[in-house]
Formats: sequence, structure tokens, C-alpha cells
Amino acid sequence: MKKQLLSVVLAATMVFGLVACGSKDAAQTSAPQAAETETTATDDTAVDTAEATEPDTNALDEQRGMQDGKFIETKHITVELYDRNVDGGTEAGNNAWTQWIQQQMLDRYNVEVEFVTVSRWQEADDINNLLASQSAPDICYTYNYSAIQTYANMGGVLDLAPLLEENKDLVPSMFDWLGEGVIYQDLDPNAGTLWAIEGKRNEICRINTFIRKDWLDTLGLPVPSTKQEFEDTLIAFRDNADTLLGKDASKMVPMSISYDVGWRAATLIESFMDPDITDKEYYVNGYDSRALTQNGTKEAVRLLNKWYNEGLIWKDFAVHTADDTTEDDMIKAGFVGAFIHNYDYPFRNGKDSINATLAAQYGEDAKFIAINTFEDKNGGYNKYTYSNTGDRKVFFPATNDEPIASLCYLEFMSQPETVEFLQIGEEGVIHTTDAASGAIVIQAPDEAHHDWYQNSGKNIDMTINCNGLRLSSPELTTLSLAYSYSDVDPEDVKNAIEVAQVDAKTPKTPSVGDIQAETEGTDLDGKRDQTYDKAVVASEADFDSVWDQGIEEYLAAGGQAIIDERTAAWDATYSSDNL
Amino acid sequence: MAKQKAEKTKYVVPKSKFNKTYIKRYWQLYALLLLPIIYLIVFKYLPMRYIIIAFKEYKLNMPLSKMPWASVKGQTDALKYFKAAFKDIDFKRALWNTVKLNLLDLIMGFPAPIIFALILNELCFKRFKKVVQTIAYMPHFLSWVIIASLATQLLAPTDGLVNQLITHLGGNSVPFLDDPSHWVGTYVGAGVWQNFGWGSIIYLASIASINTELYEAASVDGAGRFKKMWHVTLPGIKPTIVVLLIMNLGYIMGGGFERPWAMKNNLVIDVAEVISTYVYKVGIQRLKISLTTAVGLFQSVVGLFFLLTANTISRKLGERGIW
Repeated sequence: MKKQLLSVVLAATMVFGLVACGSKDAAQTSAPQAAETETTATDDTAVDTAEATEPDTNALDEQRGMQDGKFIETKHITVELYDRNVDGGTEAGNNAWTQWIQQQMLDRYNVEVEFVTVSRWQEADDINNLLASQSAPDICYTYNYSAIQTYANMGGVLDLAPLLEENKDLVPSMFDWLGEGVIYQDLDPNAGTLWAIEGKRNEICRINTFIRKDWLDTLGLPVPSTKQEFEDTLIAFRDNADTLLGKDASKMVPMSISYDVGWRAATLIESFMDPDITDKEYYVNGYDSRALTQNGTKEAVRLLNKWYNEGLIWKDFAVHTADDTTEDDMIKAGFVGAFIHNYDYPFRNGKDSINATLAAQYGEDAKFIAINTFEDKNGGYNKYTYSNTGDRKVFFPATNDEPIASLCYLEFMSQPETVEFLQIGEEGVIHTTDAASGAIVIQAPDEAHHDWYQNSGKNIDMTINCNGLRLSSPELTTLSLAYSYSDVDPEDVKNAIEVAQVDAKTPKTPSVGDIQAETEGTDLDGKRDQTYDKAVVASEADFDSVWDQGIEEYLAAGGQAIIDERTAAWDATYSSDNL
Repeated sequence: MAKQKAEKTKYVVPKSKFNKTYIKRYWQLYALLLLPIIYLIVFKYLPMRYIIIAFKEYKLNMPLSKMPWASVKGQTDALKYFKAAFKDIDFKRALWNTVKLNLLDLIMGFPAPIIFALILNELCFKRFKKVVQTIAYMPHFLSWVIIASLATQLLAPTDGLVNQLITHLGGNSVPFLDDPSHWVGTYVGAGVWQNFGWGSIIYLASIASINTELYEAASVDGAGRFKKMWHVTLPGIKPTIVVLLIMNLGYIMGGGFERPWAMKNNLVIDVAEVISTYVYKVGIQRLKISLTTAVGLFQSVVGLFFLLTANTISRKLGERGIW
């Protein structure tokens, strides 16, 4: 009897399990269909509005289901949000900031916002999976345009051109902030499609070389200002490990890099590039943000290779992977003399920042300062800033069934007040005003206001089309930039901002349409990093063959096709080599 | 005794292929069997229809049947992605590495648990035996991510504990992780370390089922420990060894994803890239679903071929196959 009862229960469980699976499947397949019909519905209205001779705002509102700029029926949209898993941070998708956004969107537009968090370090994988399973958030963003192009080729992205065309009146702030040029930067001149809207950078500083100021002082060395002096300084660090580190002398690393050599040697690489390079040459080789195929890169890596073989560079750099903190820990512990990184890297993360950690252990003098030391062939310090047009790209997946409500979200995110609040919050909570200069000084929130902790610097992950401090007044923005890092000396930040702009060039962003070859390559970024890493650790005699073989493989794997197509697209659009 | 025998005949499996009374009597057991069968159907057989993606252009938001066939410049070419794979130097490298690393694993990793089981079997202190066995199992429960970070902590060129020891003793640092040939050794070694304890369980069970009278008889004939091991224990577990060998041969084209993924780095990628990591990198990260489905299909077909061959050979040699 018992056995029978048990088997009945088991069988019942199974049946229910199956039913549950089945209904879930059904729900999943019906969702995209619903989405499809709804998109076609909006397409139809598009035709209608285009045909209407007088676009009456009220009639438009009615078609959108809105009244006085608000939806009559509550709409629901989902928005991508990076999760950086910050130590001591708050839950990425649920904190005071996200709740504030949700409340504002509900009050202004009657739109419910739900955040979908994806890991910052695996965003591409996560978005791929969400798209493939038809469950991507309605508003997605990524830095990688060729990924969006790949999705678009597979029919996974909504064309924004007609959507913007008919709803332009809904997004005045977005047009104000980004301007036509940025909004339509990715418009394909041939097909007329617009798969993504670019964002804008308000801080364009990019990279810096950093050196331990207190070590220079201890050894009585001047701040290096040429490659040779920099090399001599590294040698001095190496040879005086006992003086500088005492019992930890064996842990001395004169200069550290990571597996991402192209980024972590960027100032050095760019100093080897021709400062008079044409816009065309820069663009043609510019698919790779790490300058692998630019003219001069090889010589820069040769110098790195020499330093590596002389024991001036961290030996273990290549065996640690992307999200490994070994190198950061080493720098914070005070074992590293110099490194190249984001222009503000030692100041990031308040009390946990590199400079704050060093100061806490070794006193105020222990800190990294930004320097210009890699001279170019003209004697300047050639380097690139970010372009201020084009940054993160926002796109709507084809499963987005609320494109208009999603546009409202972009409008909300473009308004200066929204951005200002997200960046500096309320006075006394995460910022104070400097009495003397009137600058805004960012600070970490106290215990009582911990929910207002910013998981990303200035909430960059939320201000999806703005990267960098953007206060309502541009003067105040410039003034406050140096004060936007808590727990570090603003003078050091000011210096870093200045140093990063010496002889720096801002890349031009041509608009030549989609480059199909950029979606073809199988693993170009991987190949690029492998080439860099292998070349740095090769013996000096093998350097040339290792580098050349790596480049050959990179080009064969799709690099050459991109260069060729970019050249052709440039020639078809522009008559001169410079914009 | 007679009663027992009567019972045995009563419950003997009927010769006919389908017997209703039998199913009726034991329907509870069949009901239980349904669960794993349904699992197999839902999770193993139904997804197989997606194999067809290897011959189609994958589209997001489109049902399988509507996806167009793979084509080159408008010309339908269902084998497009297979051709593309075999033109790709990375795939060829991954294919070769998969076979190479799995073969090395088989050569080094397959005998290890057998030897360990034989040694353990010779221990006479029960408690000591248990402790050793438990310690040897433990690594099996660690994920490869953890083992790989352990390996980095221990074996990194300068910061690794082992190399620090070596350099402090006056030796030169050994490039366990950053030199391709050393890396292969580290990779295989870590695999053996993780699995030999766990793998030995099945052999120990098999050894336990050997009739002890055989050992007594061997002792009477004057066989020592080693002779008993050679002539009694090993032949006793031979069927187990053969079945496991066949199953392992089936994996020669397969292999897990976590281990190579967690252990690789840019310097050794030429020997570390295997098919599973290639599929992840190209298929999931770069969204080339059709290409990697083709690769996966190819991998499965070759794997099946290996399995069938090994099974046939084993049957020819008079051993039991796996079915």
C-alpha cells in the first residue's frame, strides 16, 4: 500500500513538473509573437503619422496612449544595469538610486522601470544569452558597436531611425544633449538603419603614466621626462629594493602591467606613433582600441620586451586573468613603482583607492603621481584622449514591446537635472560644497545614508548616455572635476587631468556606415592580447618572429578584412585623408 | 534450499519480449523508471532538433523552421559552416589540442586510480586506509575554478609558493604556467590529482567482490603479494577496467569546459585551446551560433565513432561491451 501511495505521489510530481515545463515553453514562444505583432502595430502607426498632413500633438499623444505627456495606462519597461559587485556597495538593482529613478519615471510618465543586472565583466556574454532566450531588457547598452551589429544581422535589434523620426517631439532633451551628429552617428548611409544611439563623454581624459612620488624622493631622483630617464628610474627602483622595501625587497616590481598590454602600455605605444598621422590612417587601424596594427606599436612593444627581460616588469602579468585583483593588491601594498592606466586610476573608490590605501600605510607622502615621460619623435608627448562623441551605445532589442516608453526613459536620462542628481545626489549626503571655490566635493555617504552609495563612480552605469561629470553649469563642472574623488588629494587629481591633456589628440569620429567585416572575426581581441603577451615575454632574439607571427594570425583571422573594408568605406565617403 | 530455488524460478525474467503481467506486477518500478526517461527525452533528445542550426543561418527571434538555410552569396550551401570551421586555424588547433590533451589524460589519468586502488587494497590498517581514501577523494569536490586559482597561487612564475621555494633554495623558477610544454604537464597533473581518488572507488568495489577463496588458493600455491595482485586481483577487475576504458575513449573528443577554461592563459593558448573553449568563445561570446553548432556536431559524431570502435574491439576480444 505504502509503495503504491509513493508511486502515485511520484507520478503526480512528474506530471505536474511536465505541465509546468510545457506551459513555460508556451509562454516563451508566445511572447516574441506578441512582441512582433506589437512592433508591426507601431510600424503601422508610423505610416499613419507620416501620412497625416498635420501632426497634431494631441492626436500623436492619443496614438501613443498618452495624455499630457503621461501614459494613460501604466507601462512596464526593463533596463540593463551593470553589476560591479563592489565591496561594501549596495545591491546593484535595488538601492536608493534605482528607487529614485523608478519613482521619477512613474511620476513623470507613468512608466514602471525594472532593472535587469548583468555582470560588468561578462556583460557581452550575459546580453548574448538574454537576447538568444528572448528575454533581453528593453533598453540595453554596451561599448561594443560590432556586437550590436551582429545582433542586428540576426534580426535581434529594433531599427531606431523610424522610431526617432516619428517621436522626435518626445525627446527634446536627448537631442539637446547629444545633438543630431551623435544621435545619427551610427546611421547607415546606404540602408538608412540606425541600430544604436551613441552616448557622449563629458570627460575625455583617457590614460596616464603613474610613478611612486615617495620612491623618487627617497632615492633623490628627479621626475623622469624621457623614455631613457624612465628606464633609468625603473633600474634604480630595481637596484634599490632593499632601501625602498626593506624585508619585502624580493617583492619589488619596478613596473606592472596586465595581460591587457595594449591598454596598460597605451601611453608608451602612442608615443611611438607618428604624431602627424592622418585621420584616415588612424581610423583604418582603429577598429582595435588597443592600437595593435598602428604604425609604431611594434617598436613600443620591443622596448617593453627589453624591460621585461631586464626584470623591470612584473613577471607574472600574463598568468592572471581579467577580474583578478592580484596586481591591484600588489600596487596597494606598495610593491609597485610605476604603471600605466586610466587617467584617474589611483583615485578611484574613495578609501579603497590606491592613493588612499598607500597613504594609510606609509603616510601622506606615499602616492602615485601622473607624469609625462614617453617622448614622441617630435619631442612632445603624443597621446589620445577619448572622443567626446560616441561612448556607450544604447539599443532596443527586437523584443522591446514598449519602444515609446523606452524613449521616454532616454529622455529622462538626458535631462541635466536627472544627471546632476544621479552624479552628485543631495548636498550633505554624497557631496558638500567647497566654501572657498564653490566646487562640488564628492564624499562617500555615512552609515545612515549607506543606501545612497554609488556602486559606480558618479553612477556612470545609470546615466547611460552620459559618461563623466555633467552639472547644470559647465563652469561648475570643470571646477568640480578635481573634487569628484573622495579621500584623495584634489591637487593630485588636478595634476593628473592636466598631464593627461598635454599634447593629447582627440580622435575624430567619421560616419561611414556599418563595416560588415567587424562582425565576422571569430576572436580578434583574444588574438590581439595573445600577440601582445607573447611578444612581451619572448627572448629579445625571438621578438621579431613572435610579433610578426602574431600579427599575421590576427590579420588572417579577420583583421585584414576590417582594414580593407574601412579603407574602402573611407574612400567612398571622404575625398581627403583628414576630416 | 528447495524453497529458495522455487522462488528463484518464480521470479525469473520471462523470455518473451513484452509481458503484460510482468509490467502489471512491477508497475511501480516502471513508474520510477519513467522519471529518468522523461529527463533524457526532455533534456537530451528534444534539444537535438536544434542540431539543424549547423546547416542554417541562425536568427534571433525566429522559430527554428523559419530560419533560412546557410548560404554563400545567395547560393544555398548547407555545409557552409563546416567548411568555415575547417578553414579556421583556431578550430584546427583546438581539435588537435582536444585529442592531444585527452589522450595524455587517458595515458596518465586512467591507470592512476587502478594503481591507487591496488595499493589501498594491500593496506591492512582499516582506519589508515579510510583516512587515505577520504583525503584522496576530496579534490574531486573542488571546482576547477578553485583548483586553477590554487595552481596560480602555488605555481606562478615569481609569486607562486613553489617557485619562491625553488628560488630561495638557489634554483631557477620553473615556468609551470607560462611555458606551453610545462603547462601541459601542469594541466595533466592537476587532472590526475583531482580524479584518481574518486576514480578508485569503483575499482575498490570491484576488488571487494572478488571471491576470497581465490586468494586463499593462491596462497596455498605459494603466491606472494605481488603474484596475487597480478594473477587474482587484476583479472578480477578486468571487466570493470575495460568498460571504463571504453567510456573514456568515448570522451576523447569531448572533455569538460571548466578545466581548460580556468587553467589557460594567453601565453599557452596555442596548446590550451580545446573545442569546448573554442565553442564558448566563438559561439557564446561572439554569437556565431551556427558555426559552433557545426563544430559541436562534428565533435559528437567523431566521439560516437570512437565509442563504437572501442566497443566493437572489446567484444571481439571476448570482453563485455557497454550494451
